[in-house]
Amino acid sequence: MSELPEYVRIVEEIFDKYKDKEFLYVGKRIQRWDAIEKIKGRVLFTADFAKYYRNAVFVYSVRTKYAHAKIKSIDISEAQRYPGVLRVITAKDIPGVNDVGYVIPDQPLLVSDKARYIGDIVALIVAEDPNVAKEAGELIKVDYEKLPVITDPLQVIDLRTLKEKEHPLIHEERGSDVVAHFKIRKGDVRKAFDEADVVVEGEYSTPFQEHAYMEPEAAIALPEADGGVTIIATTQCPFDVRKAVAKVLGVTQNKVRVIVPAVGGGFGGKEDVANELGAKAALAALMTGRPAVVIHSREESMIGHSKRHPMKAWYRHAAKRDGTLLGVEANIVFDTGAYASLGPFVAWRATVHATGPYRVEAARVDTLSVYTNNVYAGAFRGFGCPQVTFAIESQMDALAEKLGMDPVDLRLKNILREGDRTVHGQLLTRDHGVGLEEAILKAVEASRWHEKRKLFSKQVGTLRKGIGIALLWHGNSIGVEGADYSSATLIINRDGSITFRVGLIDMGQGSQWGMVLIASEILGVPPSYFRVEQPDTAATPDSGPTVASRSTVMGGAAVVNAAYKLRQRLNKVASTLLGCDPDDVEIRAPDVYCRSNPEKKVSWSDVVEQSFWLGIPLQEFGYFRAPPAEWDEETGQGAPYITYTFGAIIAEVTVDLETGGVKVDRMVTAYDIGKVINRVGAELHAEGGAIQGLGYALMEEVVHNKDAYVMNANLSTYYIPTIHDVPDEIIPIFVEAKYRRGPFGAKGLGEPSINGIAPAIVNAVSHATGLRFHSIPLTPEKVYMALKKAGKTLF
Amino acid sequence: MSVIPREEWDKYPDIEITLNVNGKDYKVKVKPYERLLDVLRYKLGFTGVKEGCGRGECGACVVLMDGKLVPSCLVLAVRANGSKVLTVEGLAPEGKLHAIQKALLDTYAVQCGFCFPGVILAIKALLDRNPNPTDEEIKDALSGQLCRCGSYLRFIKAVKLAAQYIREGKEYFDESGARG
Amino acid sequence: MVICIPRFNVYIPKDVSDALNALSQRKDLIPMGGGSDLLVLIRNGIVKADTVLDLWPLRKELAYIKREDGTVRIGALTTVSELCESDLIKDVRYAGLADVCKKFSTPFIRNIATVGGNVGAAHPLSDIALMLLVLNGKVKLLSKNGEREVNIAKFFKGKRRTVRNHDEIIAEVSFTETPHNSSTAFIKFDRRWGHAMGYVLVGAYMQLRDNIIEDVRIAFDSTGNPYPERVWTTEEFLKGKEFSDELIKQALNNVLPKEMKRITDYRASAEYRLDLSKVLLRRALLKIKSRIEGGG
Ligand SMILES: Cc1cc2nc3c(=O)[nH]c(=O)nc-3n(C[C@H](O)[C@H](O)[C@H](O)COP(=O)(O)OP(=O)(O)OC[C@H]3O[C@@H](n4cnc5c(N)ncnc54)[C@H](O)[C@@H]3O)c2cc1C
Ligand code: FES
Ligand code: FES
Repeated sequence: MSELPEYVRIVEEIFDKYKDKEFLYVGKRIQRWDAIEKIKGRVLFTADFAKYYRNAVFVYSVRTKYAHAKIKSIDISEAQRYPGVLRVITAKDIPGVNDVGYVIPDQPLLVSDKARYIGDIVALIVAEDPNVAKEAGELIKVDYEKLPVITDPLQVIDLRTLKEKEHPLIHEERGSDVVAHFKIRKGDVRKAFDEADVVVEGEYSTPFQEHAYMEPEAAIALPEADGGVTIIATTQCPFDVRKAVAKVLGVTQNKVRVIVPAVGGGFGGKEDVANELGAKAALAALMTGRPAVVIHSREESMIGHSKRHPMKAWYRHAAKRDGTLLGVEANIVFDTGAYASLGPFVAWRATVHATGPYRVEAARVDTLSVYTNNVYAGAFRGFGCPQVTFAIESQMDALAEKLGMDPVDLRLKNILREGDRTVHGQLLTRDHGVGLEEAILKAVEASRWHEKRKLFSKQVGTLRKGIGIALLWHGNSIGVEGADYSSATLIINRDGSITFRVGLIDMGQGSQWGMVLIASEILGVPPSYFRVEQPDTAATPDSGPTVASRSTVMGGAAVVNAAYKLRQRLNKVASTLLGCDPDDVEIRAPDVYCRSNPEKKVSWSDVVEQSFWLGIPLQEFGYFRAPPAEWDEETGQGAPYITYTFGAIIAEVTVDLETGGVKVDRMVTAYDIGKVINRVGAELHAEGGAIQGLGYALMEEVVHNKDAYVMNANLSTYYIPTIHDVPDEIIPIFVEAKYRRGPFGAKGLGEPSINGIAPAIVNAVSHATGLRFHSIPLTPEKVYMALKKAGKTLF
Repeated sequence: MSVIPREEWDKYPDIEITLNVNGKDYKVKVKPYERLLDVLRYKLGFTGVKEGCGRGECGACVVLMDGKLVPSCLVLAVRANGSKVLTVEGLAPEGKLHAIQKALLDTYAVQCGFCFPGVILAIKALLDRNPNPTDEEIKDALSGQLCRCGSYLRFIKAVKLAAQYIREGKEYFDESGARG
Repeated sequence: MVICIPRFNVYIPKDVSDALNALSQRKDLIPMGGGSDLLVLIRNGIVKADTVLDLWPLRKELAYIKREDGTVRIGALTTVSELCESDLIKDVRYAGLADVCKKFSTPFIRNIATVGGNVGAAHPLSDIALMLLVLNGKVKLLSKNGEREVNIAKFFKGKRRTVRNHDEIIAEVSFTETPHNSSTAFIKFDRRWGHAMGYVLVGAYMQLRDNIIEDVRIAFDSTGNPYPERVWTTEEFLKGKEFSDELIKQALNNVLPKEMKRITDYRASAEYRLDLSKVLLRRALLKIKSRIEGGG
């Protein structure tokens, strides 16, 4: 173990040291740093800054008229002459590279020869009055040649054979509309199915889901004297925006500065679209020499940013009579829309998780991501997992039904426990923390599963209750998707206050606060001493993207490193003041004393002041990099993630047999997230994820018509849950199977909190109705039609 | 949207209106098509008023206009002429928190916070006419306040707590005392 | 600084006669009540507005709920909230209006949306218009040249089209007080419970004596045309018969489908909408019966 990098050793050392300690701040309910400012309405979000720029210009995006068309020419002359228009920008005005693609360079900022979905932008109009800009948009003349529109990924690929069909190519330049293909090949699948006592098979489909964060996208760019630009933007990934904008402008990255103020929700949606907004604002600012504002309207937001990938999947499970899983086969197709965005990574994560948190000795999984002319799909909380989890957990219930087993018993028979290997061959050790069994048992107890399962089976009448379960797992951080590093800066100022900087952003999830609690715990200084500085590429270190539930685990580990080193120096300085051993120094700011003799006391500010005089630096940069992931492209074998979060969800529903309406009454969510760092944040995630998952299960779906126009691009037709739709109760339970290389043993929760919700709800509806369902959102119509087919309705 | 010919460029005259926002009088020039939302946010700087949809669908922009909860994205500024507007910024004096705000803190409801100004004013509108609402009444009153982060269950708890504070005569709290 | 509302002018009248004068002189004026419908249509580019006639100042004259001489009169500029806070909806006969109040959009929209605007919107999903249909309501139109009353069943001509002439405003809606052995109900059902549009909307009025259906009126958001309409044949079938579940089932299975054509769109299929219409109508009638019998 001696080759372990120092930053890993430090995290392990801290883990061991604190394993059995009482925590002061970690795991406690402590108010967010910005709660009061938010509640007073003082916190500024990106668009709010526009009030300060009186000479600002506005940028309006003229989008294509057709979802799939060749563009023969774009005539801007009339628009250019429209009174009030300062500038019209088209592809040929872009000084650098005309591309904002995230994973692969397939997405032009401004299209010039082809439109691939209705959000594609043909021109930008810059004017002082946004209404003028919009009016002038009508004068942009584009000569289109319409092409056949593809809205169904199964027009591109055959679900059973996985062969690409004859179809008009959306991305001719790539020669194929299959963006990615990932596989798992393990054991002898044929033998497993030959020897199986039971086999269940099903086709599943899931919808486009819209993030519907309450704050629509916005960016403001300020031109700088050296040809650079400063951008205020609502983004999850300031360093990616910087990279993308620098590329579009053709300048070095150090000329682009990105500042992220408060962000009104992200859920994965404010990743690549921020590159587009940043670039649009930057071009306008540099071409006019004035601050440039881009604010997307809600309608624009809904057609112009990535969505959750819809999935079509075919699954087959083989099992023995006693319920032991023998093998799993799956063909999974993701619709990535017009551009890849993070699609390849989403498909990869889905593949890794495609057999669920179970011991599976034989598996064949193929996941393909394909282009269509729909709005492009990318990152969304869960990142491929909610889709496959719906299929797997539906299959597990179908299997239990066929075997006549209780769904919980079937799962308990097959789940991953410490010492097991995942389907990829990754050995799960005590250091990973595997608390799935405990989570299931706790959820079963809290929900009174056995009692209700029985009781609800005997109902009569129009309203029927049901209870259902689903399990989930979620690989932490980004695995093989990219360089998995993070960093953080802690600066103790001369007055003893502390400046906290990390490049990971807060979009409401509160993970920066978790990192502050970690620093507080190690330094012995209350969170109130800290100021969380907004991410700013000019000041905060690059911590990688704020995605993949990585903030607490990865950012937290970097903070552990910084705080650890500072604490060592502080202990030394204090020991000279106090005359006791550095290891004996206890910091409980404002006091610092010897543990062996608490009477010997100095103040925190004395220690800080003394450090300055002694020339001991009180700023520290913490770095952490996850051990590299392993993944064999052909077999899917290796160790794809550093560790896994596990969970069990139990939902209770009432179904109206006459209308098909479903109401979720109660949910128990039990998560093994290792050490709980930010308790409030964890609880809010459990609730918020459950509610967003409820929307996914029952009502949310972005609908494209045959021309690939979005039919419901606003918030009164795209339904998200309201306060009337939430369950009466969501009971969050946390199990702490600790991950030794996470800060104090922490694992992530941001994304997994949505993974298992939909299947738990759908399984509950199945319990209430005695029917199985294969597609979400499970609208009243779907429930009703199934009941009608089964002869269970009134008329 | 139609294109406006050059010769008609000046056809939208400025109109001067007076507004009382959070107890202070303002005279502002507005365009006939301008929304109260834009005047509050960009002309007067009350960016506590948020725009989430511009179509009356999300509740982020609501303000109390002459005591009534209205979506400022669907109220023309000219219509607000002469009215009294309360935004979240005016709910409590400097350095103080209103009972509603305190209750939202006490229930740890804040996530991204974008929906909060609207939620807070919707709660105010409710408690002003119903000091002791039931769960169902709370849900009805907040049915238009979308919160994608999903703090809904805490809103229900917070409304009850706020109602209790107010009943106990504790309408305002010190901001500094609430900082944890 | 404004985001994304197309530009238009506003004419602010002093009073009703000023508004009517303006309308008679200018072809470009579009009346606006609360604007909750109109401003969204302008934003979407569905309505191209040159000048909006702001009717809000007319609230001095046209915001009221009066019950006199056996008639209920509601001024066109009465807001939905005002209607919902009025004593009228506490009368069990008009419990259907109370149902509307629970389901009509959200509190802040109700505070600006007007009763006249709901009728003027001429949209299938106009809750109040639907209830006025079953209350046999009338729409009073005013112009510089006088006034006329139109039965609401004859008011709609198409989606967003009514018989209102350009120079007229909707001044009032009214209906005759209904007998004491009657009540109303309204049901809207969708996959979301809060703030929903409704796959299907149904409003019903029924008068019962000794369990005999003396009178019944039923309206749906749509029966084939893109605006709310009554189902006359179903009403005729039920009238004069004894109320029973069997009777209702007969009406739903044998009569209603013959006079109702439902559409399939991205929200729901025609088949589901038709079946749901049956389920909801049955529920509405049962609700009314229990209301008449004092069950609330
Ligand atoms: C988010 C949202 C949710 C909604 N939910 C519902 C709902 O649940 N149920 C429902 O029924 N409606 C709903 N609506 C639609 C709308 O709010 C209602 O139809 C409302 O009653 C319209 O009233 P208004 O005064 O705002 O009308 P306006 O928007 O002012 O006008 C509507 C139309 O009527 C005309 N008009 C208005 N008043 C007059 C008048 N006095 N004389 C002549 N013409 C007039 C206008 O020219 C326009 O064509 C919703 C709207 C929004 C934005
Ligand atoms: S911005 Fe006004 S309701 Fe959404
Ligand atoms: S807290 Fe984020 S939308 Fe409500």
